[in-house]
Amino acid sequence: MNAISFREDVLPLKDKIFRLALRITLDRQEAEDIVQDILMRIWDRRESLGEVESIEALSLTMCRNLALDHIKSKEKSNIPLSDAPPTEDREMPPDMLLIRSERLEAVRKLFDSLPVPQREAIQLRDIEGKSYAEIAQITGQSEASVKVNIFRARQYIRKQIEKKENYGL
Amino acid sequence: MDYSYIDKLLERYWQGETSVEEEEMLRTFFRQRELPSRFEPYRRLFAYEDVAASEHLGAEFDERMLRMIEPGEQHVVRARHISVAARLRPFLKAAASVAVVLTIGGAIEHSFRNENAATPDFNYATYKDTYKDPQVAAEKVSSSLRDMSEELQRQQSADSARAIGKDKSVQ
Repeated sequence: MNAISFREDVLPLKDKIFRLALRITLDRQEAEDIVQDILMRIWDRRESLGEVESIEALSLTMCRNLALDHIKSKEKSNIPLSDAPPTEDREMPPDMLLIRSERLEAVRKLFDSLPVPQREAIQLRDIEGKSYAEIAQITGQSEASVKVNIFRARQYIRKQIEKKENYGL
Repeated sequence: MDYSYIDKLLERYWQGETSVEEEEMLRTFFRQRELPSRFEPYRRLFAYEDVAASEHLGAEFDERMLRMIEPGEQHVVRARHISVAARLRPFLKAAASVAVVLTIGGAIEHSFRNENAATPDFNYATYKDTYKDPQVAAEKVSSSLRDMSEELQRQQSADSARAIGKDKSVQ
């Protein structure tokens, strides 16, 4: 078996993990902490890991679980709604001004307003290009429920886009 | 161009019935500068997906991670060797998707045009032989080829003779 290299095999996973963590937590700092945590854990376990190919799926599963834990602990801490930072104003650091136009920003809000199971499924499918089988493996769900989540997410996004178009917004 | 194929693809996309490859094709289609107006509302969805896919952690993050993994080492970010094929792969993929869209469009357009256009006659059975005897035909062909080769040689020697003449005049 080839030795696992941190630079070549582990570090390149950071962006995919970051995007999934960000989509679930809606919090850039939290997402970055999750990536760091996962990369360290994978590196520590490198001796017991099998094929390099499977590390990506494993890291995304870990990412999902950590991100979901984060959401739950946030809910438990019972922040009154008025005090909770509104997800709508998720801040974009200056280097992430890729999302320039307001129209794209509106679509991001649509994605982020989906229920978590739909949000993670659509992230893995429409942004990372994963197959239903891969998403099922990562999320520990059946392929059928992955399909249902993606179907519902797309239906919602379509409806919202068409509604906005009709009202000329 | 006929867009009914894209209409069908988009409808199947909403239903969650498209393959990953078909979805990449849709994304390529929506990257076009000019879109028929009925597709315009959905442009931003696919454009956002492109932007979201490029979201990343910067070099600062890498440096911090490497310091944690290999403390005390000097960290110079090494260039990773990527083969030409690997580097071209995204472009080839994009080009392939465009080609598929264009081919389908072209095929549809062609099938519409073909109905009025006169079809050229490719029926070899109606071709007539110029020579009855194969021996005569072979002789005619080889004599034509010989004539041509002689003519070419004559031209060449004339050209080189002229070139020598020119050189002399320059000197």
